[in-house]
Amino acid sequence: MALGMPMRKFARLSLWVAAALLTSTMPAWSAKIRVYPDLVQIGAFFQGTEVSLEGQMPPGCEAVVEVCGPEVNETLLRKGRRAGLWMTVGELEVQHAPNFYLVLSTPPRIPELNGQDTPWGFNALRSRLKIRGALADQEKDRFSSEFLKLKESEELYGSLPGTLRVGNSPEGQAVFQGGFRLPAKVPPGRYQVRLSVVKDGQILEQKTETIEVRMVGFPALLAALAYEHGALYGILAVAIAIATGFLMGFLFKGKAGH
Amino acid sequence: MWNLYLPVAGNSINILLLFGLGAGVGFLSGLFGVGGGFLMTPLLIMAGIPSTVAAASDSNQIVAASTSGTYAHYRMGNVDFKMGFLLLVGGVAGGTLGVQIIKVLRTLGNADFVIKITYVLMLGLVGSYMFLESLQNLWKKDVVEARRAEPRKPSTYARLIQALPWQMKFDKSGVTFSALVPLFLGTLVGILAAIMGVGGGFIMVPVMVYMLRMPMHVVVGTSLFQILFTCINVTVMQAISNHTVDLVLALILLVGSTLGAQVGAKLSKRLKADQLKILLASIVLLVMVQILASLILPPTLLLGYKGGH
Repeated sequence: MALGMPMRKFARLSLWVAAALLTSTMPAWSAKIRVYPDLVQIGAFFQGTEVSLEGQMPPGCEAVVEVCGPEVNETLLRKGRRAGLWMTVGELEVQHAPNFYLVLSTPPRIPELNGQDTPWGFNALRSRLKIRGALADQEKDRFSSEFLKLKESEELYGSLPGTLRVGNSPEGQAVFQGGFRLPAKVPPGRYQVRLSVVKDGQILEQKTETIEVRMVGFPALLAALAYEHGALYGILAVAIAIATGFLMGFLFKGKAGH
Repeated sequence: MWNLYLPVAGNSINILLLFGLGAGVGFLSGLFGVGGGFLMTPLLIMAGIPSTVAAASDSNQIVAASTSGTYAHYRMGNVDFKMGFLLLVGGVAGGTLGVQIIKVLRTLGNADFVIKITYVLMLGLVGSYMFLESLQNLWKKDVVEARRAEPRKPSTYARLIQALPWQMKFDKSGVTFSALVPLFLGTLVGILAAIMGVGGGFIMVPVMVYMLRMPMHVVVGTSLFQILFTCINVTVMQAISNHTVDLVLALILLVGSTLGAQVGAKLSKRLKADQLKILLASIVLLVMVQILASLILPPTLLLGYKGGH
């Protein structure tokens, strides 16, 4: 407003000084992560979606982002050879497996911690899995690897090192950007997006955001009917099938008659 | 925008692909009187549908295709309702028994072995027999027709079934024998179908042709009639106890398959019985080879999901 030229200069200068002071004594809470969109709706035409990530951290650090779904127990079939033929030889129960897991990072290799177990990545995931059932103790490592491969082949698990790009922001912070794909197969639920900022093999700080995946509209209606009114749904399905079968028969009869 | 989300399967899939799959399998269904589950379910699994959902939704789709096919064949006078009903009663009883057998096998831990071997043996046996027999007929057409003219010598099998009580005349099929025969054969097919996890059309058709001596055109219509009821039962049961029927998936498939079934039924009228049998035999043998290959070749992963066939 009525500020004189020198006054304005001074104000700007003091701002710069304040900013410089702030960055030099970088407080631990400065890391940020944003997810867009944070609500994914599964409608009738859903075919998976891209989710973009954006965040900031102190310069000279590395960022690791994990996208992780709730843990579920799964029963799987183990294949093996009997009398020279490949077939199912038993069931395995896998516990503590998230239904979705991605790990992304700024460096081209997923960062590891010094002197302690790295809490992210496929190795950490593998060591958390509990497998029971038709297998010997020494086979557990092998089958936890097979489990990760199975999930990877379905795009439900993924390790994507180097997919976060780092740039510099005017505030002296390092910013990173990247994204990942939620496949059409993604089960509805809440997904944790956890940022870990790593420097010299130590975790500086962590931040967590969530993405919610929800069925809406027609798919939600149909799924609710299928799960809550199974008998009605079954009879409806049969009735529609018979009606369509007859309708098609009538249509063809008309055509053939002339 | 050709992708549609399937709420129960939990995946999205191309509509045109599903429609094409439905049309192809429906065509075979109308042509041969098979449900086509033994072809459709593996194809759906390959397209990314969970195996349990693929099997259950496919039976829903077969309801539509077999309604369409039964109706088309009924208009041509090709459905023997009396025979179909008896086979159906036997099939339901056999199916119930087969499910119990599978439960026992599972506790013994070798269910999968029995299922796979049953599959390969049944398909191999049925396929080769049908193939060779029809080929022979096509080559020596005149000889066969001459032989048909003279009265057939009663075989042990024929004498046995003539001796059974409750003799019945099946007008549409032009055969007479005890009601126990279709009941028993239906039960047998029902057991096998339950063990193999399929509708059983491709076993039922050869059984009708060779053991019930029904004419091929009546076999197709009657088989479809029987499959219709089997699949209604399976669909409702799966919807109630496993929630694995995906209506969106089934709807797209059934639009394709009902169309295909009509075209198939029309063509079945034009083709000769032996040509039909050779075609069906070739498909059955192809499926057998594919299953055999999956047994012999090492799998890419040593873990798999439960369900399916």
